[in-house]
Amino acid sequence: MRVVIAEDAAMMREGLVRLLTDRGFEVCAAVADADALRAATATAVPDVAIIDIRMPPTHTDEGLRAAIDIRRDHPTVGVLVFSQYVETRYATRLLADRPTGVGYLLKDRVADVADFVDALTRVASGGTALDPEVVGHLMRAGRDTTGMAALTPREREVLALMAEGRSNAGIAAALVITSGVVEKHVANIFTKLGLPPSDTDNRRVLAVLRHVAG
Amino acid sequence: MIGHNEPMMALRRVAFCVAGVVSAVVILALPAVVPGAAVLILWATGTLAEQPAPVVAPVFLVLFPLTVALLVVLATPFGRTTGKWHRFLARRLLGARMDAPPPRRSRRISDGPGWRALGYGVLKVPLAIPEGYGAFCFVFGVVNLSYPLWWPLFRNHPPGTTLGPVWALTPFGMISTRTFAGTFLIAAAGLAMLLVAPWLMRAGVALDLAAMRRLLGPGRVAELTESRAQAIDDAAAMMRRLERDLHDGAQIRLATLAMNLGMATEKLGADGPPPDLDQARELVALAHRGAKEALADLRDLVRGIHPPVLDNGLGDALGTLATSSAIPVEVHVDLPVRPSPAIETIVYFCAAELLANAAKHSRATSIKLTVGGRLTLTVEDDGAGGADPNGPGLSGLARRIAVVDGRMTVTSPPGGPTRVDIHI
Repeated sequence: MRVVIAEDAAMMREGLVRLLTDRGFEVCAAVADADALRAATATAVPDVAIIDIRMPPTHTDEGLRAAIDIRRDHPTVGVLVFSQYVETRYATRLLADRPTGVGYLLKDRVADVADFVDALTRVASGGTALDPEVVGHLMRAGRDTTGMAALTPREREVLALMAEGRSNAGIAAALVITSGVVEKHVANIFTKLGLPPSDTDNRRVLAVLRHVAG
Repeated sequence: MIGHNEPMMALRRVAFCVAGVVSAVVILALPAVVPGAAVLILWATGTLAEQPAPVVAPVFLVLFPLTVALLVVLATPFGRTTGKWHRFLARRLLGARMDAPPPRRSRRISDGPGWRALGYGVLKVPLAIPEGYGAFCFVFGVVNLSYPLWWPLFRNHPPGTTLGPVWALTPFGMISTRTFAGTFLIAAAGLAMLLVAPWLMRAGVALDLAAMRRLLGPGRVAELTESRAQAIDDAAAMMRRLERDLHDGAQIRLATLAMNLGMATEKLGADGPPPDLDQARELVALAHRGAKEALADLRDLVRGIHPPVLDNGLGDALGTLATSSAIPVEVHVDLPVRPSPAIETIVYFCAAELLANAAKHSRATSIKLTVGGRLTLTVEDDGAGGADPNGPGLSGLARRIAVVDGRMTVTSPPGGPTRVDIHI
């Protein structure tokens, strides 16, 4: 799997290169700013790009803007945005056009190497990976809308895990329940939110989150 | 800043005093101009020739209220104009820089700074008395002192010629002499006048400057508004810098540290013999180094927020600060009473910034840092000079000091040395 890394802090960048190489990824380029990232993506066309939001020269959101550009110009490239803080507006901007092949994780998540690699693989193959913090913020933002208010606490937990990008089996493992129970919760959630119950795709959940976060 | 060249300064002060007298005369004369001109016209047209009383009385009845109305309307623009002129004089002749008041907001009469400036104009009349007296003593002191010099040049008539006495002007009236010996009496009077003149002018100018600061400056409210805005800006900038330092420093180091430990954990395996002990060791060593760097980062950051040694007082804090300077610093702190923590912090950061400036720009080989009674911070170096008090660094410092009613003076002629005094 081919990866491009854009991160301005040298030690973090080197650490990521080491981690990913060690895990069998091919790191095509590791750059320190958004322009170099655009160039590297255009030439290497990787499976996934890991992008720090705050990079030179302005240290505000150039990484995010580059991520949005890449999603528009190179639809096959997964984009994993990587940040030290959670900004709900950034998440909604990132999810705006289509909730596929996209991720938004806190940098802290690299500490759990297996989870991080898992999320990266998911994004590279067109799935999603949202940080629990991001999901929490989005769900709190939408807590007062009809539908969402009707969910039980357990259903909210299931919805949050789905939004992070986990499969039904993953959710079952995380909550220590059987897959059958998870499926029942998912069906209830969809009924309460007025969504077609047959569609159990995560994208559907992301669409809901996007809707409630406005 | 005008240099401390005493004779030049004295001459400038004389010029300021003379200008003050001119101002006072103009200010006194102006209200009389309108009725004076009217009377002049009446007189010129012959109206006053035959029977003055019946004509003059109604004219004055009309002119007096008209003059008053005109004066009220023109008062604040006139006040502002004279204020501007006096600020210019003070800046050019005395080197006393004063900020202008904010511009007038509407065309209404209620123009606070304008009225204050007019108040200064009225006050200028009594202020001009010691100034004028001082200038008079100075000028005629010189003239009187020169009597013995020119006496032999002009008074070389043949013996027996009867001549009128020579007159000389003193503050106590005219004195005269018919003899060469008498001119020494006049010269003595001149010397006395010259000795008194600087004190009179100094007193007059000091009073005048105090009045200017109160009446011609931006005003207390404007000053407070500005310094409050400055304080808020400073606090916001401080928070932003703090966030930036944490985000790019300790936070990223800790994230990397966590990543390295995460990788090491994997290399060690869940149980049994570790699959890759060498790599795990290397990763742990990396994480260890990262943790130490993060600690150093945080320590620097904490010291930047509030140096803990400042709790022991300015002496210890500035001593510690001096040891970290690239240029040797000699520190003297002599404070009878310990200032409040906020003031200590401000003094500390002023000193830190001035030392950093000196290290960056002065090319000095030694620096003297003195903190004395009534809180005066002086930083002196033997470097190249040429520091610009209006540059971004020093003017920013001056604005920050203004928040606590402090003042800064910078003396830095090209070629050095540089001396910065801060009074808080």
